[in-house]
Amino acid sequence: MNSVSPTTAQYVGVVMQDELLESQRQQRMERQSSLGLRPPQTPDPSREAPGEPDEMDKLKAKLMSAWNNVKYGWTVKSKTSFNKISPVTVMGHCFLLNSEDEVERFRLAFVSRIWLTYRKDFPQLEGSTWTTDCGWGCMLRSGQMLLAQGLLVHLMPKDWAWPDAQQLTDVDFEVFRPRSPVRAGGVPIPSFSSPRGSNTPEKTLPSDHGLKCSQRKRPESARDRQAESIHHKLITWFGDQPSAPFGVHQLVEIGKSSGKKAGDWYGPSVVAHILRKAVARASVVQNLAVYVAQDCTVYKDDVVHLCDTSPKKTPPDPLSQAWKSVIILVPVRLGGEALNPSYIECVKNILKLDCCIGIIGGKPKHSLFFIGFQDEQLLYLDPHYCQNVVDVTQGNFSPESFHCTSPKKMPFSRMDPSCTIGFYAQNKKDFESLCSAVSVALSSSKEKYPIFTFVEGKGQDYGLDSQSTNHSGPAAHILPLGQWCRSNNRSNSDEFVFL
Amino acid sequence: MPPFDKVQPQNKPFKQRKSLATRKQEVAGIRSKFPNKIPVIIERYDREKYLPPLDKTKFLVPHELTVTQFVTIIRNRMALLPTQAFYLLVNRSGLTSMSLTMAQVYKDHQDEDGFLYMTYASQEMFGH
Repeated sequence: MNSVSPTTAQYVGVVMQDELLESQRQQRMERQSSLGLRPPQTPDPSREAPGEPDEMDKLKAKLMSAWNNVKYGWTVKSKTSFNKISPVTVMGHCFLLNSEDEVERFRLAFVSRIWLTYRKDFPQLEGSTWTTDCGWGCMLRSGQMLLAQGLLVHLMPKDWAWPDAQQLTDVDFEVFRPRSPVRAGGVPIPSFSSPRGSNTPEKTLPSDHGLKCSQRKRPESARDRQAESIHHKLITWFGDQPSAPFGVHQLVEIGKSSGKKAGDWYGPSVVAHILRKAVARASVVQNLAVYVAQDCTVYKDDVVHLCDTSPKKTPPDPLSQAWKSVIILVPVRLGGEALNPSYIECVKNILKLDCCIGIIGGKPKHSLFFIGFQDEQLLYLDPHYCQNVVDVTQGNFSPESFHCTSPKKMPFSRMDPSCTIGFYAQNKKDFESLCSAVSVALSSSKEKYPIFTFVEGKGQDYGLDSQSTNHSGPAAHILPLGQWCRSNNRSNSDEFVFL
Repeated sequence: MPPFDKVQPQNKPFKQRKSLATRKQEVAGIRSKFPNKIPVIIERYDREKYLPPLDKTKFLVPHELTVTQFVTIIRNRMALLPTQAFYLLVNRSGLTSMSLTMAQVYKDHQDEDGFLYMTYASQEMFGH
């Protein structure tokens, strides 16, 4: 057995390089500030005034981030096996991996997904000392991946594949086994020209020109070039800097209104609402809205209300493009302590749908982005890999570290019951067919009742949006314990409450 | 970190506090007095960290009340924000369907003692 795979060696290389980068970064920032380009935003321990009140916090954050870099940056990867008998499903696409062609199709489908992971050494998150999300931001990263998938479907040509998608790593395909028991002969060992995350940006002014696509030096059609430009731009929206509309900085900022702050753990439902607000705020994506179901119910009239942007004129012009595309997010809880096994079939059927853009959830305490399954195993993208920040304001940044080459699987039985399911509908007709397709998938549940339902009409007015943006009183939804203890008087708690 | 770690020690689940016979008797008594109401036990998921405990566990609800309405009432009792996750599980594992009436849920899931048992929970948080 090859004990150290090339990938492993590469990861080790990245870790060792971190120290080098650290000193480079410092120099870079000094250069920057002396040029007056940008004030250094990352705290530098050597410059801290002693006795600062939050020094302990800073030290703690430093130690935590150092630990997390070891924990998430230096993993010896195990191989994922795919059999050739059962199809692999990836969000509505099916691959039977019994031929090289199919493996190739699967590779393109998998590697083309946007992969967002822990990052370190990004500009400090406002109101905190954090310059990394290692060890706490995995659910935010999963949420970003879900949104990124929605945006890919929204903006890219149908069944777009990244032309520069690399070879898969750490995989074992049965189809190649006869040739080599260890590493499949048909799957080339990956060669990374440059190690991940080592995008040391040479200084140029961060500018809007950076958002325009970099030109590639290989023959391609105008259509490809255009798609690549959008792909590139899409990644910049998830950059780890305050101005990126869907970056960690923005999401953490929005999360403050739900009582969350940098360093906190997030849940799939909280993140769904953060994404909804982020898209509503963003000016970069026009013509897209996010709807979050409440209490496991999608109120169709509310979705229509959100999407129908036609002026209130009669008769409505059926030809006018007055319909926003919509991402529908449904936060659910599929069981108490563990996943209720009766829901597995239903989750599979949802992942088989074209309109599904993935599920954010995970193993207990450990968030993952589920994009498909094979047999009794979920296929996922894992945010738990700490990479150096990439300066996406550089026009020629490499999208390599935003795509994953090693597909991972885990058994359904380990799935945490808390998750948020995502769907996308381009237009009104799409939305109608989404409703019926999803309803059919939902009826496959072995439980008596479906996971969630589509309901005609509007939700009762809970003041769904009007209250949710008040910034006062963090964690206003958590009542003081004292109140409850006082009212929780055992002598009368045994009486019935009449409704 | 969990805001409710000082949960009252006497808070054993309702089923464990009373014998089957007692519970049956209780249901028989209340059903004879209020034949148009359904006896429901609603308890907090024992590992719930974010939702507050309810001051009452026993509810008498009208047959025609929908699950949506019932959930709204419980949410209001806890003063939850509309965007905050809240799930009602029947028999601790299955989600309830919002459009059903309480009578339908009762018919499908009532316990041998005659109560309908529901657990409420929010969502877990992730961070490692």
